Amino acid sequence: MRLLHNYQYVAAMLLFCIGLYTIIVRRNIIKKLIGLNIMETAVFFFYISLGYLDGGIAPIRVGGADPSRMVNPIPQALILTGIVVAVSVTALALALVILLYRQYGTLDVDRLFRDEEKEPESGTERGGTA
Amino acid sequence: MGAYRHFPIFMITLPILGAVLLPFLGYLRQKWVPWAAALPLTASTVLGILLIGKIPSDGYLSYHMGNWEPPWGIEVRVDYMGLFLMLIVCGITLLAMVFSRRYIAKEVSGGRLTAYYVLFLLMSGAMLGFVATGDIFNLFVFMEILALSSYALVAITGNRNAVRAAFKYLLMGAPSSIMVLLAIGFLYSATGSLNMADLAGRISESGYTEVLIVSYILFVIGFGVKAALFPLHMWLPDAHSIAPSPISALLSGLLVEVSAFAIIRITLSVFTSGADNLIGGTLDAVGIFAAAAVLYGGIMAIMQKDLKMMIAYSTVSHIGYIFLGITALTAEGLTGAMYHMLDHGLAKACLFLCAGSFIYVKGYRRIDDLKGAWRQMPWTCFAFALASLSVIGIPPTAGFISKWYLILGNIEAGNYLYVVILLAGSILAAVYCFRIIYCMFFQTGKEGAWEDSAHDASISMLSPVWVLSAGTLFFGVFSYLLIPSLLKAAQYLL
Repeated sequence: MRLLHNYQYVAAMLLFCIGLYTIIVRRNIIKKLIGLNIMETAVFFFYISLGYLDGGIAPIRVGGADPSRMVNPIPQALILTGIVVAVSVTALALALVILLYRQYGTLDVDRLFRDEEKEPESGTERGGTA
Repeated sequence: MGAYRHFPIFMITLPILGAVLLPFLGYLRQKWVPWAAALPLTASTVLGILLIGKIPSDGYLSYHMGNWEPPWGIEVRVDYMGLFLMLIVCGITLLAMVFSRRYIAKEVSGGRLTAYYVLFLLMSGAMLGFVATGDIFNLFVFMEILALSSYALVAITGNRNAVRAAFKYLLMGAPSSIMVLLAIGFLYSATGSLNMADLAGRISESGYTEVLIVSYILFVIGFGVKAALFPLHMWLPDAHSIAPSPISALLSGLLVEVSAFAIIRITLSVFTSGADNLIGGTLDAVGIFAAAAVLYGGIMAIMQKDLKMMIAYSTVSHIGYIFLGITALTAEGLTGAMYHMLDHGLAKACLFLCAGSFIYVKGYRRIDDLKGAWRQMPWTCFAFALASLSVIGIPPTAGFISKWYLILGNIEAGNYLYVVILLAGSILAAVYCFRIIYCMFFQTGKEGAWEDSAHDASISMLSPVWVLSAGTLFFGVFSYLLIPSLLKAAQYLL
């Protein structure tokens, strides 16, 4: 019954698992990034539902508002930061995807990492276009 | 209270501020960037050195951001171990920065050169903040700054292998960060606090045992990826071996260690060793994985042909050492883990910078190519040999002291199997280190591999290598300067 009562947490965890599954199983790196974003969204959803109050009001003390009816603003503030972080990670990842596609001509992880073993070491050579 | 209580926050903000201002300088006067970038790091190092002796080994320095009292405001809390690690971070980043000036100019140019220094400063500032913060959400933010700048730094050359290694690192690193965020969410939902000291009190009263256990497991997985604990280390060999050498030194010498320190903070400052019912099982599992890491890293290091790849696998092995010190949960074990962070940081940074010198002078990465290197690059080779001795743990070096305390700690905890594994790890280290030393000093290279014109890199690249290498010897001989205070600090934490 407690599980049914907290159905939003179950939904968040399901979403989290879907995201993780996508990252692990999908071979296309764009889909992996979508999975990453689903995972992030799941965590954001979890946080926001922590602070949610049915019929709650904004946490501003004006005109004797009742503090017990206010939603918790801390998770929302945290998630604002979390969203910024998630956007930066996605932007960097997409930039890397563009570089990878230019240099390998594929988005498939199996083909990207297949020739890893026999690739000659070329640490000092500067290749590619930025 | 003197002015020194403001020092920790300046140590963190100065590099980050420098990172914000540097692009403008790069736009106006590109030539000055490498010099200007060293300024904030030097300032942080000086502030850190001034703090020595101000923090008692059984206390801490608390700084309230914006004068908001914790647990409501954000707290910066530096204890003895935190300062110890912050000084390691400052010292090694500064030396790697000095080394970078010549090295990186050969690998990247133009706007990327400025970007390199910006990311470098961002990464060092984030590492300092990561160690010093007393707020658990702040820990996540600093971890993300650290992670993002390190992904970008691995890919900075734009070379195809580098981009691929960076992407692989990101694919493991980003989900692990989300797991840490989720863990913080669980912790917050069970206790309603984000301040570490406040959490420690509330966890024992909280009734949500299952939530807290899951939260701790997620923390360990999240930071475990960042620290490259054995089954989660897949990103490390690629990223560490392909990144530019000063960055490899930072990644290997510092990043994995501050992540391990984060686990120490979560385990001992947040959950506290009293909460054995919450963390005991997970710590046992970490111990098994750490023991596996020691053996796996050592065996893989022996099999490598590429020098930087070998050093990277040696890091996997040494992370196992640090974690075995943590899981022992004894003062000696924790002291060993902290001291191992010092000597591993110095030795690994030195090894990677030496490897960088070889790449800079000759472009050689393979171990076979180093045959007879001694004749042409004697100073680099001697520094490499000295640092290798510390990696193995031969007596006068710091590596011996830390392994001694790690073993002592595990005997105290009654984990005799781990003692055997720690000793076996040293034997493996001896095998892979002496192989290189043998190659360098006692074998003659192929005809024409080392012409007479090749010689040691310039003094600005050689001096960081020698400072690091001499550091391993210094902290081995003068270990009594630090060990008693570390033991006291460990007892205070436990």
